[in-house]
Amino acid sequence: MAKVVVRFESGEPERVIEVDLRNAPFQHDGRPGSILDILLAHGIPLEHACGGNCACTTCHVVVKRGGDRLSPSEDNEDDLLDKAPGLTATSRLGCQAVIEDNDAVIEVVIPRYTINQISESHG
Amino acid sequence: MAEERTAVLESVVDHGTDTRSFVFRIPGGLAFRPGQFLSCLLPIGGERLIRPYSIASSPEEPERVELLLNLVPGGPGSRYLFDLAPGATLHFTGPWGTFVLDRAPDAEAVFVAVDTGIAPIRPMLHRALATCAHPVTLLYAASHPIYRDELGALDALQLHHIAPAIVEQEVRRRYLERDADRSRHFFICGVGDIVPRLRDLLRGGGYARRAVQYEKW
Repeated sequence: MAKVVVRFESGEPERVIEVDLRNAPFQHDGRPGSILDILLAHGIPLEHACGGNCACTTCHVVVKRGGDRLSPSEDNEDDLLDKAPGLTATSRLGCQAVIEDNDAVIEVVIPRYTINQISESHG
Repeated sequence: MAEERTAVLESVVDHGTDTRSFVFRIPGGLAFRPGQFLSCLLPIGGERLIRPYSIASSPEEPERVELLLNLVPGGPGSRYLFDLAPGATLHFTGPWGTFVLDRAPDAEAVFVAVDTGIAPIRPMLHRALATCAHPVTLLYAASHPIYRDELGALDALQLHHIAPAIVEQEVRRRYLERDADRSRHFFICGVGDIVPRLRDLLRGGGYARRAVQYEKW
C-alpha cells in the first residue's frame, strides 16, 4: 500500500491516505494513480479546472517527500508549472504526478490559494 | 473551491461538420483574458463532470460568451452541450488558463490554429491586432475553417489557410527554412499530438522556449 500524507497551507487538519495502486484509477479525473486521482477518491477536493487534463495549473501541489517515486514530469506539465503561482523546485501538477511505487510514502502540501488568473492580473 | 456561476444559453450557431458555437449570456458579465477557458460543470450520469471549453469571444463583450466546440464521438461533455436548447442554464467556474495574450509581443506574432483550436486564438488575434507594432500572422489549418469571413476582413492580419495534414511542413518551411529570424512568438492551439510536435519543431529549430506558447486539448 502506498501512503499519501496531505497537508494544507490553509491550516486544515492533515490527512493520511493509504491506497493500493493496483486498483487505479480511483475516479475519472487525472491520470490513473495520480495524486489528483487519489485525493479526489478520498474526498479531498483538489481544484482541477481543466478536468485533470494537464491544461491548467489549478491542481498544483508541492511535493515534500517521495518525489522520486512519482512519474517524471513532461514538457507540457513543466510549461504549465512555469506559470503556477507559488512555484517551487518540487512543484507538480496533481493530475500528472503518478505514484509509481506501491510502497511509496508521498507527502504533499496543497497551497492555500488557487489563484484565478484574471484576479491575479487585474486585482 | 472556486466560485460557481451560472450562464444562460442564448443561441446556437451551427457551423456544419458537427461544429457549433454556443453563445451564453452571463448576468453581471465575466472578466477574462483572451485565450482563457470556462470550466463547465455538467450533470451527466448522476455525476458532475468537469469539461474545459475555451472562450471564443472577446473580453470586450463580457456579458456574452461564446464557446466553440465539435461533437466528440463518445464524448459525454460535447453531447450534453449539443443537446441543450436556448434558455438552458450552464454552471461553470472560471475563467481559467494561462494560454493568454494581453498585449501583442514585441516581435512578429504567429498564431497556429488547428481546426477548432481557433477558439481561444480568435480573441487573442483581435487583441494582438489592437496592440501590435509588428506583423500578426494566422496559420489556420482546418478542413472547414470557422470565422472565415470575419478573419478575412481583418486587413492587418496575414492569413494563410492550409490543410491540417501539411501544418508541420508549412511551419517548417515558413519559420525554420525560409530565414534565420528566431525572434517570432508563436501561439499554437489544437487537439492531440500535433500541438507538442509543433512545439518541439519550433523549439528544436532555435526559438526560445517561452516564445512558443501552446494549448493542447
